[in-house]
Amino acid sequence: MRLLLRIIKFAFQHFFRNFWLSLVTVSMLTLTFLTVDVLLGLNLATDAAINNVEKRVDVSVTFKIGTEEAEVKNAASYLRSLPEVEDVGFVTPDEALTDFKTKHANNPTVLASLDEVGGNPFGYELIVRARSADNYPMILEALDHPSFRDFIEAKDFTSHETVLASLSDVTVKARWFGFTLLAIFLAIAVLIVFNTVRVTIFVHREEISIMRLVGAAGWFIRAPYLVEAFIFSLTALIISGLVVVPAVLIFNPLFDAYFETSSQLQNFFIGQAFWVFGLEFVGAALVCMASTAFAMRRYLKV
Amino acid sequence: MIRLKNVSKIYPPNVAALQHVSLHIKPGEFVSIVGQSGTGKTTLAKLLFAEEHPSCGEVIIGGWDISKIKHSEVPLLRRQIGVVFQDFKLLPKKTVSENVAFALEVAGASVKRIREVVPQVLKIVNLHDCGDRYPRQLSGGEQQRVAIARALAHKPKIIVADEPTGNLDTINAHEIINLLKKINEFGTTVVLVTHNREVVNHLRRRVITLQDGNIISDEEEGRYRL
Ligand SMILES: Nc1ncnc2c1ncn2[C@@H]1O[C@H](COP(=O)(O)OP(=O)(O)OP(=O)(O)O)[C@@H](O)[C@H]1O
Ligand SMILES: [Mg+2]
Repeated sequence: MRLLLRIIKFAFQHFFRNFWLSLVTVSMLTLTFLTVDVLLGLNLATDAAINNVEKRVDVSVTFKIGTEEAEVKNAASYLRSLPEVEDVGFVTPDEALTDFKTKHANNPTVLASLDEVGGNPFGYELIVRARSADNYPMILEALDHPSFRDFIEAKDFTSHETVLASLSDVTVKARWFGFTLLAIFLAIAVLIVFNTVRVTIFVHREEISIMRLVGAAGWFIRAPYLVEAFIFSLTALIISGLVVVPAVLIFNPLFDAYFETSSQLQNFFIGQAFWVFGLEFVGAALVCMASTAFAMRRYLKV
Repeated sequence: MIRLKNVSKIYPPNVAALQHVSLHIKPGEFVSIVGQSGTGKTTLAKLLFAEEHPSCGEVIIGGWDISKIKHSEVPLLRRQIGVVFQDFKLLPKKTVSENVAFALEVAGASVKRIREVVPQVLKIVNLHDCGDRYPRQLSGGEQQRVAIARALAHKPKIIVADEPTGNLDTINAHEIINLLKKINEFGTTVVLVTHNREVVNHLRRRVITLQDGNIISDEEEGRYRL
């Protein structure tokens, strides 16, 4: 206990005696933390965007007029049996007609043209919703099944498909860019921590040699450097938190308005702050300590 | 207390600093080790506090064979041997008291014990009024006395001093030697490595003379003869 307090004291001494060096180290770590947070935020945004589009996406399958109801029901139950399919809506020609009439109730021209056609111009319709956007191509393929291919008039999907494709393309690219940036920042952070420890050891070489001469244990000489790595990570975490939390509070309403979510940004960063920041901290602290251990192995012979 | 059995030290690639040295120093002795430059005096001193390890032979301190001492056990040995050097090795940014306390602090002594011991040892070296000064505010002789106080902090049974008077004028050198004599009279074994003819002749204690890594003379109440 006594020794632990002394180790912490020495660690803080190291931290403040090389103040500028510590500042650079902490800044770099802060930058790394912020990159991670921005990446997480982007991830939330793309998830929300994809979700939004997916919710709106469905395939509407129109059957030819005169197709038997049994055939359509048959196709519906086949689709329901597919694991990719979330839900299949069934629309009879009568329902479709009523729908159409209500939709165009104040458009007499359209209604008049309907009368001109005579009878019900609508066939049966199935509204297929997939579990995920990736499943739509599969479903479309399934609809080519020979047993009902011939009854199908039209499959309407294409417009959404391009949106989804470009969205997931952007997501993938953004993630790649983000991870590359993160990897670079992390590498720089590791190098800076390494150098800081190296310089700190150099600055304290006299003290270290005296510690050894008067009988300080090896671990006692090393421990302050590890604690210092811990202090670096903690300080950087606190600073990045001071930036991220207000930013989240500011962007939260905008995010909700844009993506039609309810406090998703805030729920993630503040509701789950313990996990988000905790994991970030643990990761950074481990990386810093590993870097410190490496620098000590190289420069601190005790 | 200290026993060397047929000890040789060969620095890589092939500098033989010590060759087949055997000696025995009894508890409470005051032994001077003299010899020309490069004859292995410092090497001998370093073997005693495990800063170097013998290439062959045995070094035994208080019954403990430290020739193959484990790395993790070196601190235990260092808390039983006080060391003093020509260049004092004080921390310039710590006061006199803090320098002495440092030795106890890093070895895990309690605050209570530190408060008790630091004034005690500063009194022994007659610097009890200078506790709050920084090393640069002291003369060379005073700085060396601080270093001796620090060496005493663990109440060691042995003090090894490697040319403690090397940087001092005659008057200060005498003060330091008298201090070491006083410490020796309290029962601490003192091993003094020195170049100083006057010091050795004045001491009239055991003198071991080294030449080219060999002991060429070992006399009770010896004189400096080179
Ligand atoms: N770390 C080392 N590596 C290689 N050779 C060394 C090392 N330390 C000392 N030596 C050599 O060992 C020999 C004995 O050195 P040592 O320092 O013991 O001499 P010394 O008697 O203390 O000399 P001085 O009176 O000048 O201090 C010298 O030839 C020196 O060059
Ligand atoms: Mg020497």
